[in-house]
Amino acid sequence: MSVKRLYASPMPRPARRGNYNQPVADQLSAPPSPFDYEAALRACARGERSALQNLYEQESPRLLGVVQRIVRDAALAEDIVHDAFIRIWNKAATYDQARGSARGWIFSVTRHLALNAVRNNARQMQMDPDEEGETSHAAIDGWQEQTDAFDWRVNPGRIEACLEQLEPVRRNCVFHAYVDGYSHQEIAQRLGAPLGTVKAWIRRSLTALRECIG
Amino acid sequence: MNTELNDSGESLHELAGEYVLGTLPASQREDVERRLPVDPELQAAVDYWEARLLHLTDLVEPQTPSPRLWARIQRSLDESARQTVPVSRTRQSKWWDSLSLWRGFAAAGMAATLVLGSLLLTRTISDSSPTWLVVLATPQNLAPGWVMQASNQSREIELIPLGVTELPPDKALQLWTKAEGWQAPVSLGLVKPGEPVKIRLDELPPLQPNQLFELTLEQPTGSPTGKPTGPIQFIGRAAKVI
Repeated sequence: MSVKRLYASPMPRPARRGNYNQPVADQLSAPPSPFDYEAALRACARGERSALQNLYEQESPRLLGVVQRIVRDAALAEDIVHDAFIRIWNKAATYDQARGSARGWIFSVTRHLALNAVRNNARQMQMDPDEEGETSHAAIDGWQEQTDAFDWRVNPGRIEACLEQLEPVRRNCVFHAYVDGYSHQEIAQRLGAPLGTVKAWIRRSLTALRECIG
Repeated sequence: MNTELNDSGESLHELAGEYVLGTLPASQREDVERRLPVDPELQAAVDYWEARLLHLTDLVEPQTPSPRLWARIQRSLDESARQTVPVSRTRQSKWWDSLSLWRGFAAAGMAATLVLGSLLLTRTISDSSPTWLVVLATPQNLAPGWVMQASNQSREIELIPLGVTELPPDKALQLWTKAEGWQAPVSLGLVKPGEPVKIRLDELPPLQPNQLFELTLEQPTGSPTGKPTGPIQFIGRAAKVI
C-alpha cells in the first residue's frame, strides 16, 4: 500500500511541469513559458487538434497514473483516459476560467470518469490476505498511532499543512478516498474500522480541512 | 437523503467534499451530477474542493500510456467529426429519438431560411459583391443561435439572432474573431442577446475563408484581459457565398 514518490526529497515544487519547447497554441509565442492550459482549452474549443495533442503529451502519463490507481486495471484505465480526452475535446468550450484552473478542470473531468466507472461497477475490493489479517487485528486505540499510509509531506502546499493537523488515521481516510478511489466500505475494510466510524471521520476531516484552508 | 441535500451550507459542503473525494455511492453521485448544472451553490462548493484537493494527485506515480492510445483518441475524434450530427454511436438509443437532433434540424432549417432569404435580398441589391456568411452554433449540440453576414464592399458585418439567448445575471456576450495566422482573437465588442447588430470592420483586414467568430460569456464590461476568458456560447467559421 506504500506509495512510490514522485519527488525524492522535500524540494520546492517545480514551477510547472512542462515541456517548454512546445508551443501550445498559436497565441503562445514567447520562449520559455509554462504550459498554458487555459490557452490549450480555448484552442481545443476552436477545433485545433494540435492543442489537444499538446495537452495529451503534457498530462496523459499523470492522468493515466491517477486513473489506474483508482480503477486498478491497466486496460480499463486507458479506456477511461481515452474517454476523458474525447470529453475534454467536446466540452472544452464549456470550461469557465472563473470556476477554477484549466489544469484542475482536466483532472476533474478525468477523475470523475474513473470514479463513476468504479462506483457503477460496485467494485469488490480485493485485499491482500496478509494486509487484511493485519488490519483486522488492529485494536481501536492502536489506530491513533498508526503511521501514514501515504508519504505526503514531500511536496508541501496549503492542503498538506492542513492535513498535518488531522490524526494519521483520518488523514489516511482522505488519501484512500481521493487517491485510491475507495468507497466508505472499502476504507472501513482496509482499516478494520466500523463503517459508521469511517463515515464520521471523513465528514469531520472535511469540516476540519475547510476550517483550516479557509 | 433529499432532506440532507436541501440542508444548510455545511451539509452542502460535506456533500460536495464527498463527491470530490469520491466516497459517494453511484446513486448519490448521479444526483450531484444532475444538480450541478442548475445549482450554482453546489457547483461552487464542488469547485472549491476540486481546487483544494487537486494537489493530492501529485501523490500518484505517472504511468506511460501505450503508444496506441493517442492514435485511438484521434480515430475516435475523426469518427465523430465525420458524423454531421453529433449522435453518439455508443449510446443505444435510436437516432430518431434524439431530441437534440430534431431540435438541431429545426434550428438548422430556420437558419437556412434566414440565410437564403437574406441572400435573395442581397442578390437583388448587388449581384457582384461577394458575400460572407457565418452560422454561429452552440459548441455542444451545434444548434444555430446567430447568423452573420458581410459583404467585402461595405466593410460591415451584420449579426442576426435566431432566438433569445438566456444569459446568467451580470454576464454579457462578447464577440471575437480570429483569422488564420493571427496571434490571438480580436474583440468586436459586446452584443446584446436577441438584438441584431451591425459592426464596422474598418480596422481589420478583409474577411478570410474559415475566419473564426465566437461569442463568449464575459463580465458586463467585457473581458478584463482583452482575450476571451469565459466559456464559448456560439462559434462558427466564415464561408464565402458564390
